[in-house]
Amino acid sequence: MKKPALLLTVLILAALALPVISPAAQAQDDTLTVLCTPQEDWCVAMTQAFQEETGIETSYVRMSSGESLARIRATQSDPEFSVWWGGPADAFIAASAEGLLEPYEPELASVLPAEAVGEDHAWHGVYIGALGFCSNVEVLDELGVEAPTSWEDLLDPAFEGNIAMAHPATSGTAFTAFWSVVTLKADELEAAEEGTGYDEDGAPTEAAIDAAFEYFSQLHQNILQYTRSGSAPGQMAGNSEIAVAIIFSHDCVKLQEEGFAELLVGTFPEEGTGYEIGGMALIANAPEPDAAKQWIEWALTPEAQAIAQTVNSLQLPTNPDTPVSELSVNLSEVNLVDYNFPAAGENRTEIVERFDMEIAPQPTE
Amino acid sequence: MKVQRLSQIAPSIRLTRNRHIAEFWRIFQDPLLFVGLVLVVLFVGITIIAPIVAMVQESRTEQGQELFENYLGSPVYRTIIQNTMEMGLLVAAAGTALGFLLAYVQVKVDVPFKRLMHIIALVPVIAPPFAVATATLLLFGRNGMISRGIFGVRYDIYGLDGLTLVLTLSYFTVAYMNLRGMMMALDPALDEAATNLGASRWRIFRSVTVPMLIPGIAGSFLLLFVEAIADLGNPLVMGGNYEVLSTRIYVSIVGLYNTTAAAVLSVILLVPSLLVFVVQRYWISRTSVVSVTGKPSGTPHMHRHPLIRWPLFAVAMFVTLFVIMIYGTIFAGSFTKILNVNNELTLEHFDFVINGYGSEAMKDTTQLSIIATPIAGVLGMLIAFLVARKKFLGRNALDFATMLGIAVPGTILGIGYLLVFNEPSEITLPLIGTVTVLPKLTGGRALLGGAAAIVLVYIVRSVPAALRSGVAALSQIDPSLEEASISLGEDNFGTFRRVTLPLIRPAFLSGLIYAFARSMTTISAIIFLTTPRTKIMTQQILNEVENGRYGNAFAYCVILILIVLVAIGILAVAVGTSSGAEKTMEGGA
Repeated sequence: MKKPALLLTVLILAALALPVISPAAQAQDDTLTVLCTPQEDWCVAMTQAFQEETGIETSYVRMSSGESLARIRATQSDPEFSVWWGGPADAFIAASAEGLLEPYEPELASVLPAEAVGEDHAWHGVYIGALGFCSNVEVLDELGVEAPTSWEDLLDPAFEGNIAMAHPATSGTAFTAFWSVVTLKADELEAAEEGTGYDEDGAPTEAAIDAAFEYFSQLHQNILQYTRSGSAPGQMAGNSEIAVAIIFSHDCVKLQEEGFAELLVGTFPEEGTGYEIGGMALIANAPEPDAAKQWIEWALTPEAQAIAQTVNSLQLPTNPDTPVSELSVNLSEVNLVDYNFPAAGENRTEIVERFDMEIAPQPTE
Repeated sequence: MKVQRLSQIAPSIRLTRNRHIAEFWRIFQDPLLFVGLVLVVLFVGITIIAPIVAMVQESRTEQGQELFENYLGSPVYRTIIQNTMEMGLLVAAAGTALGFLLAYVQVKVDVPFKRLMHIIALVPVIAPPFAVATATLLLFGRNGMISRGIFGVRYDIYGLDGLTLVLTLSYFTVAYMNLRGMMMALDPALDEAATNLGASRWRIFRSVTVPMLIPGIAGSFLLLFVEAIADLGNPLVMGGNYEVLSTRIYVSIVGLYNTTAAAVLSVILLVPSLLVFVVQRYWISRTSVVSVTGKPSGTPHMHRHPLIRWPLFAVAMFVTLFVIMIYGTIFAGSFTKILNVNNELTLEHFDFVINGYGSEAMKDTTQLSIIATPIAGVLGMLIAFLVARKKFLGRNALDFATMLGIAVPGTILGIGYLLVFNEPSEITLPLIGTVTVLPKLTGGRALLGGAAAIVLVYIVRSVPAALRSGVAALSQIDPSLEEASISLGEDNFGTFRRVTLPLIRPAFLSGLIYAFARSMTTISAIIFLTTPRTKIMTQQILNEVENGRYGNAFAYCVILILIVLVAIGILAVAVGTSSGAEKTMEGGA
């Protein structure tokens, strides 16, 4: 009876002594892992189309852009993703400054508008969208207010607990909102006294950033909660949980198209609003660099950019040959701020940390 | 006299110590037992202790110390800490009261529909996170189908009140199972004696029943407190501007990837959790007043007085129907386009989950849970056997360390894993050179795409329950049975396999069921560990809920519940039980 026990013991010990087999670091490019920042269904459609087109087995993980940046930073020695697709360029600029991206110039870079090409081809724009307000008409009625048409309107105490936006640390949408206000404050300061709003390089000054913090700490009183993902507040407005969502206007249109047409109305702040250029980049030390480059080439083609409309993602395509939906925002009708992307990218980390420390955890009265 | 007494004590101490060493020696002599012990200790050391230690160390760095001062000095963070505690206490009180009520009605009151009430009270164990919160939002939120649809109120459920409601509904089962077990063990002879002495029903309740249950009540209260302050999913969904520590920890990782800040906040959260755990373990368990020597004699005396019976029935039934309504909403929501906005029937959510987005996660999560379940079950029984049957130095420490796997909030374990397993552990040996002891388990290019780390977390979170039910089962089995087997020439392993294990089979089964359900539904501990190659259902449910796509989330929940139910069925058949699935669920608490 002792024998089997002894044998088993030996076996277990032998198993323990075996060197642990480390997984082969496979870098064959028959697979591609995409870090995808836009909405889930668009990510699904894009990766499926790419897989069909190239035969490369493509998977993705959706993360908001702040999250993505944090994740790429945390895994930079051993990146999990090869290509990062979508989300405001500010985060791409911040990542590029930290050496997290690898420049790559796709063939179609030449057809893109100038602002959609990152410095040294570190990133390229795949879509453009404008920030706006998405309001629930029923809730507005109940609160006895009109749909907001300015940033000041949002501070109306009537909106208490009835506005939502994402947390700038996790969401590029929310950071775009923040930087839009920074720009507006810089304009205000500059109008009052030259040199106080912008520094000599044309970047908004510390004073403008402080003024924006002042604005958001007032707005905080009206915020119900800060979501993780930028588009989430739109759904909350659709479900009548809040009156106003601060989101990209195309996300509002998407909701209208998907069943909330009578409930939601989109407006833009008249002082001026920010916009995003959705970025795309090769991640430094990417495990599947060739497949990633193939993706980058492909994602700029009109065919790939036209996929957006099939899932009601109505951002403006950056490739001028892509047909534009009539539901997409007409940028010439919207008052856009002069959004300084490099400065936004540079200040991003500091601002979101400060926001998380000073504003997000504050109790509201 | 005193001198004499002291001199009597001293040798007895020496004697017990000698006995411990002798026992230890005996284990050493039995290679299998020895290897088992070494394996268990290694496992607990690497997967539970090391991550917690790493996290505490991270918080003690210079930068961490500074953050500590910042946080504890800032009125904002003091409010957050206060919020966390307030929420914990409220949930603990409400959940214990609810559990007590349902248990009392179940055991002591003669009412109809007991079986239904019992099953409904157990449902939360297999419910995925967020399900309750999301359904509650749809029913009682600002545009709730009930709050607004029926009462016409735009009720603001975000914040403390909503959180208390959903957390209570999510965790009262713990209190219910605890207290129901204790009430059934109460000897009705005590009630009879009190009645014979002329005590009224109320007096019996007040001076016999409740005092006997104090340890159970206190224990449930503390368990619920820990569960509530550790919960992440519910505050994320309906916290509103009511910030708690767990959501702050979450933002510091996903938004800023500031492990130091997360570690510091985690330590602040860890202190009350551990304190409560220690109190529960050493104080409450010692003040137990329930006699364990005798099984209850006779059947409990049931309340039949209509004035007691019907009000209690009404309340219990109300709770039951409430829970049914919550789960009904989940079910209905999974089949409608946008519940409460567009109630058209559809299968598109299931299509989205099953055929596209969720298919991989369903496969991965189920697979990983299937791997973790038997390991957790066997490990739990093994540790239970060692702890309950063998005497060796560090026996209590082993039990305690294993229990930490569940006593520690899940987010904390997750951060600990990030800190410990993000780099491969290597040791340099003479002659051989550098040897990888443990490969990288988290982050990019982790072993098996991070799946290994997730399985470990699943095991760590499930073993404690298996351990407890194993210990409970073993304590009811006379060791002489095993001794007889040894005397008859069977070795330790054979005895464990052929005598002990069959006897504790129900406990083993409940350990397995619990492990599977827990693994499938866990979120806070694995949320930082998923990688592109490993997709986990609960995390995808969180995505859907956070983005307000409730239909998809509900479809997901329905599928998850089905998987768990099917697994319970298969396990019950495979392991076999004479006591029925219901009894095994009880042990699973």
